[in-house]
Amino acid sequence: MAIRRPMPERAIAYLIALTFAFFAAFPIVWTLITSLKTEKDIITRTIQMIPTAPTLHNYVAIWTQSNLPDLMINSAIVTFYTVAICVTAGTLAAYSLSRLRFRGRKHVLLFLLLLRMFPLVLMVIPLFIILRDTSLLDTKIGLALAYSGFLLPIFTWMMKGFFDAIPLELEEAARIDGCTRLGAMVRVVLPLVQGGLWACAVFTGIGAWNEYLFALMLTTSSGSRTWPVGLQLMVGEFQLPWGALSAGGILSIIPVLVLFAFVQRAMVRGLAAGAVKG
Amino acid sequence: MRRSLSDTRAFPWLLLAPCLLLAMAVVLYPTITGIDLSFRQMRLNRPDLGTGYVGLRHYWAMLDDPVFYVSLQNTFVWVVSTVVVELAMGMLAAVVLDMELPGFRAIAVVVLLPWFLPIVVAGNIWALMLDSRLGVINAALVGLGVLGDFKPWFADPAWALPMAILVEAWHGFPFFALLLLAGLKGISAELYEAASVDGANLWHRFRHIQLPSLTMVMTAAVVLRAISLMNSPDLILILTGGGPGRSTQVLSLYAFQKAYREFNFGYAGALSVVMLLLLMGSAWLYVRLTGALKDD
Repeated sequence: MAIRRPMPERAIAYLIALTFAFFAAFPIVWTLITSLKTEKDIITRTIQMIPTAPTLHNYVAIWTQSNLPDLMINSAIVTFYTVAICVTAGTLAAYSLSRLRFRGRKHVLLFLLLLRMFPLVLMVIPLFIILRDTSLLDTKIGLALAYSGFLLPIFTWMMKGFFDAIPLELEEAARIDGCTRLGAMVRVVLPLVQGGLWACAVFTGIGAWNEYLFALMLTTSSGSRTWPVGLQLMVGEFQLPWGALSAGGILSIIPVLVLFAFVQRAMVRGLAAGAVKG
Repeated sequence: MRRSLSDTRAFPWLLLAPCLLLAMAVVLYPTITGIDLSFRQMRLNRPDLGTGYVGLRHYWAMLDDPVFYVSLQNTFVWVVSTVVVELAMGMLAAVVLDMELPGFRAIAVVVLLPWFLPIVVAGNIWALMLDSRLGVINAALVGLGVLGDFKPWFADPAWALPMAILVEAWHGFPFFALLLLAGLKGISAELYEAASVDGANLWHRFRHIQLPSLTMVMTAAVVLRAISLMNSPDLILILTGGGPGRSTQVLSLYAFQKAYREFNFGYAGALSVVMLLLLMGSAWLYVRLTGALKDD
């Protein structure tokens, strides 16, 4: 809500807003600074705000002397599977819930919402057993299936919101011109929700890329281990130096930051709509 | 004319099938199995014990388990304080950012960032900043004269939980800011105009226009956030692992450790069922008390 405001009010508003921005951003900036420091600059009690001799040494070290590249490739594959599953199953479901009227529709929506309530810890134990019995334990596709369980309901809710925003008339016009319902969905509706679809896909992708707990429980070998588990292992067991850890952290959040920057507006809109209506 | 598939009554369900089947296979079925497990003997490292039903044995054992009570108490403190802090911060951020002054759109993006960062990175960033030898926060506090010397925050039972709450608040307040800001955008300009004619100041406007309009959003946000705080032990696992002593042990972490470290799936299942019941009970009570859904 933009209106003219008196000067002191504006000054206080800027002060508060910038304080929040500083609070939110400082830890990330500090990690970036730490990642560019030499070990000597880090291990000192007189904190160096600016590195005396900025270096990319930490990045080279974590990239060549640890298995971080492999871990990130594993994560990328798991993320890809998860997004593929969510986009396929979730878009169809969201279309059905947004466009078609049928008995039980409300119940399905409520069911998808309730799925969020189940404790992850309660699910992960039987999932471990189920995946083991189907030889999917410690596989990328097994982990992606587990992720889809909690990401698919959110994806469907968000995507339904984007479908709801497309006027029905457009689709009806296409159907009068001889399109089938699916034809109209693919040719008319999907191009219009493209922005929303990207936003939902990125949201799901970030969720899968970042996930730690399921990955810790459901992967056991380096063949399918994802980067959050691998990085935490390095911290715990090999006493990873702060500089290398910071560099690893920065490397792993770059994909998140880039994708977030691309779709943040549509994503925020979708998230807000999903939660407000839910 | 042949009726096409898309006109049949089964069509909506056909489109829903992949989503619902997957949800049933990887969420509903495991959850039901988990509840079933809580009444069974199930230790992966002790196959000799079998997997027979033991009735309520795990639940009785819980009543005699001092760690359970400590975890219950910490969970309560953890969830309630974090939600309160995040709600307050998110509300302030949302009300200010809603003024839409020049540059606020960019600031809003920065404020949202922590929410999208991985817990593993968030946890370690703060562990670094709060480090007892090299932490920048310790250095700043000593520099300002607030602290006499560097403090090992996560080694002090009195400070470990409050610090974990601080870190979680940093990570989670953007969620509230995002939802509340979206809620504020939905308030019509006429309401504000009417209020300014009546000479309402900022506080009146917040109290009588903004806050009432946000009831629905606030309830939804609080319930969703409380669910995820109750359910995910990730951050505490990374920051403290429940220590020092039991000072940051929460229920979800305790259940996870029982399963992950001791492979005692039966007892871990029982702990999770108690969590689910507490969650459902408090969500119901909260929605009832705030009356947010009354008009639906």
